[in-house]
Amino acid sequence: MKIIVDGKEIDAVLGETLLGAARRAGIHIPTLCYHESLEGQGRCRLCMVEVNEGGRKEVVASCTYPVKEGIEVTTSTPVIDKIRRNIIMLLYKRATGSPVMRQLFQEYGCPQNSLQENPEERCILCNICVRACEELGSSAISLIMRGTQKRVATPYDEAAAVCIGCGTCARVCPAGAIEMTEKEGIRVIWNKAFAMQACSRCGSYYASREEIAHLTARKPEYVIQSDLCEDCRKRMMAEKIAVFVSE
Amino acid sequence: MPGITVQLPEELERIIRAYPSDKRYILAMMQDLQKQCNYLPREALEEIARHVEIPFSKVYALATFYKAFSLVPRGKYHIKVCDGTACHIKSSAVLIDQIFNAIAIRPGETSPDGMFSLETVNCIGACAIAPVMVINEKVYSKVSSAGILDVINGIRGDINDNAKSS
Amino acid sequence: MTTQNPPDNRKILVCCGTGCQASGSMDVFLAFQNQLHPEPGVTVETYAKATGCNGWCEQGPLVKILPDDITYCRVQAKHVAEIIDKTIKQGELVKKLLYRDPVTKKQVRSHHEINFYKKQHKVALRHIGEIDPASLDDYLAYDGYKALGQAFAMSPADIIDEIERSGLRGRGGAGFPTGRKWRSCAVQEASEKYLVCNGDEGDPGAFMDRSIMEGDPHTVIEGMIIGSMAIGAHKGFIYVRDEYGLAVQNLGRAIQDARANGYLGEDIMGKGWAFDIEIVRGGGAFVCGEETALMNSIEGNAGEPRDKYVYPTEKGLWGKPTIINNVETWANIPVIILAGAEKFASIGSKNSKGTKVFSLVGKVVNTGLVEVPMGTTLREIIFDIGGGILKGKAFKAVQTGGPSGGCIPAELLDLEIDFDSLTEAGSMMGSGGLIVMDEHTCMVEVARYYLHFLAGESCGKCVPCREGIDRMLEILTRICEGHGKMEDLDLLEDLSETLKAASSCALGKTATNPVLSTLRYFRPEYISHIHEKRCAAGVCRSLTTFDIIPEICTGCGLCEKNCPVQAIRGEKKEPHTISQELCIRCGDCFNRCNFGAIKVV
Repeated sequence: MKIIVDGKEIDAVLGETLLGAARRAGIHIPTLCYHESLEGQGRCRLCMVEVNEGGRKEVVASCTYPVKEGIEVTTSTPVIDKIRRNIIMLLYKRATGSPVMRQLFQEYGCPQNSLQENPEERCILCNICVRACEELGSSAISLIMRGTQKRVATPYDEAAAVCIGCGTCARVCPAGAIEMTEKEGIRVIWNKAFAMQACSRCGSYYASREEIAHLTARKPEYVIQSDLCEDCRKRMMAEKIAVFVSE
Repeated sequence: MPGITVQLPEELERIIRAYPSDKRYILAMMQDLQKQCNYLPREALEEIARHVEIPFSKVYALATFYKAFSLVPRGKYHIKVCDGTACHIKSSAVLIDQIFNAIAIRPGETSPDGMFSLETVNCIGACAIAPVMVINEKVYSKVSSAGILDVINGIRGDINDNAKSS
Repeated sequence: MTTQNPPDNRKILVCCGTGCQASGSMDVFLAFQNQLHPEPGVTVETYAKATGCNGWCEQGPLVKILPDDITYCRVQAKHVAEIIDKTIKQGELVKKLLYRDPVTKKQVRSHHEINFYKKQHKVALRHIGEIDPASLDDYLAYDGYKALGQAFAMSPADIIDEIERSGLRGRGGAGFPTGRKWRSCAVQEASEKYLVCNGDEGDPGAFMDRSIMEGDPHTVIEGMIIGSMAIGAHKGFIYVRDEYGLAVQNLGRAIQDARANGYLGEDIMGKGWAFDIEIVRGGGAFVCGEETALMNSIEGNAGEPRDKYVYPTEKGLWGKPTIINNVETWANIPVIILAGAEKFASIGSKNSKGTKVFSLVGKVVNTGLVEVPMGTTLREIIFDIGGGILKGKAFKAVQTGGPSGGCIPAELLDLEIDFDSLTEAGSMMGSGGLIVMDEHTCMVEVARYYLHFLAGESCGKCVPCREGIDRMLEILTRICEGHGKMEDLDLLEDLSETLKAASSCALGKTATNPVLSTLRYFRPEYISHIHEKRCAAGVCRSLTTFDIIPEICTGCGLCEKNCPVQAIRGEKKEPHTISQELCIRCGDCFNRCNFGAIKVV
């Protein structure tokens, strides 16, 4: 089907979201809780756009709004811009400790106001870490509590039995809010320490032993040479191919 | 599952296993457990996760999302002071102060002897007889700050009597 | 004063709604049961039954005696022997238990003569207080399941037509036309459809749904069965707050009885229609009153709402077409089928048909449940039915619609209330809470109260609601503590726009109503908090000092006795004084004084 975004006609597929269609067509809509490999969540509301459906205008979250034939979309209006500014301001005040929020606060030209800042906090509750842990990790963390008390945590804030220390949550976090330290072959994340596996070739630590065991159990075909880091594995493959070709 | 050492009392396991293994019954399981134990023991939550076959973190998220559940044991006498609008404008905040004066606990706290705990609730639907307070299942209507002391002293009297007779 | 010849068959109806139970009505009921044994030489066959809420909780426990039509107020178990002895055996009235009209000072024999009831029009509450909610036979004796029988003679389309023509709009809040909702679900082709009764009544200050579920559970069930035939669903859910213990119990029993008697199950009334109902107990989350959050909760997830770009009538529970109506809406369905759409539509205002049940509470003389035709004015409800403001104080505002609603000032007392007029006034019908506020209610603090409520009840999923409410609460708290600035008011309005436009569900979208409506009608109060650091109502503790006016104080000692921190001292019959060091500014003395001897400095 065809839809119009900012005056430009683009192709969209029934069942996909407005954000997905716009991104594919190279149209930028800002987001904080969206990750291309996960379903839209509608949490941050930064992706609000104006949809005109047969004369009826509505402000919607483009990451959850399913495309409809013939809609006309405007991604930036004075109303939308103000919503985005306020959302950035609110998240900056909540998570003032996050470098990303400090930068966005400047970028969006948010006015200073008297609301209290929270320099200790970095998390913006986008939930991407939780979703990533469900998909790639082991559902060790979840969003607990509700309302203003809501936060990401392991049950009882203790080291979770199921956590494999893969660090995916920390890597996908847009706000730099998840602390992961590594020292002398020990990784610490979510109050749990993991012994790291050293690469048998270059000696660098590349994954926790629990993660390797988890991957081996889940997808044995992907774990070709589990005692090598990813770089060395690639290098080894290249060498093998080179030998094969030269023979 | 690793890390579980505490044995779940049989009666709690029965409560959980009375429901089919489907996540839509989790809320009902938790309600029954809360009624039985006055809180949700960790081992029971772990059992729910096993029975329903969902991650423990999801069960924990549910238990903390819904206000009806407590993760720590509540007092033998659980006092709920209603702070619905009708009660609020009839000075329910004064009742909270008065309870603090009498048993030195604030909402969310349990007295050191485990006898009393206090929470505020958002409207129990008894607005016409505001302000109201509920202790265990009993509703007290049109509570005054003087009246609250009588109720608490009455309970203390019962506690002492029981202690003597046993 | 005696009654006429005592009839042989008497019914003693003891109100056992939550309000009356809190005042001891179960003891009264048990006392009647124990003491009503036939005695030699007495031929009267009298029985007592426990009924649902009569609505007039203020005067509870209520006891009605039929057919004499006598209403006794504030009855305690100790009065039972006297009632049996005098009224039942000798046909005499127990005068001290009769209601005394505060204006005429006359004792009133029947509740039909009392203003509180006289001006009401009962439709949704038609059986409540009359029937025994635990008895299917009693329900059947009051035309129960007759509408269902009639519906079996109609096609699904006929049923929907009838509901649509009645003009019934959803009683849960926004007032969406029920017939239209049903139609959009009925046209969906799906292997399964679901039907939900939303009994997660969470608005603080509202308890009409509780009373219906407790007092007339079969009406809700009958309404749902009719709905199931209209849309083609075989499974229904009633989502009830677990805090409503009596409602859960009575609904559970009613469902069991209905099943056992062929009103639910595989072959309803022998007509080959299958439908059953399951009760789901809520876990204490206001947001679950929002329909998408409620569906998530039924499915076993946290009660976070979903964006409603696709309606539940298309994709609801487990992705199947689902209709959700609130308790009071369901209770109206059998009436519409039985009496006909025209009869129903003859009641009410132009665009809001039928009646609405309100819970009239707060600083009003007669508190309780009242059911009136849509379009009744606030003045009629508060002053004629409610008997005006407590202690003769001045009316300041009435809050409608719970945390999603607003505060309506005295200028609008003649507003004919219905869905549309309330929305225009910056408030909302909501589920029907009417909380009356007098001169000693601070409107800034009321706005702060609602935001505090919502901050604890927001699910926390989307940023505008979670962070926005928290920040608006921060500002209002500051104002209440005397640290507000004028630019704070602009910031409140600015944030409100974002909450309204960008929040995911109605909780966030309407959270600003209590703030915006008080800013609109009571702005001077905000300004005096900011500029003069003054709370004229004497509520905001940081801005209030109470003092006793010695010329007016009679030394009655009422305040002294009730002061929670013993800050008041004085000799009997001599003017008392307040120790400012000890005083915690709770305002208890100020609200309690019968002589107006305490002032806010």
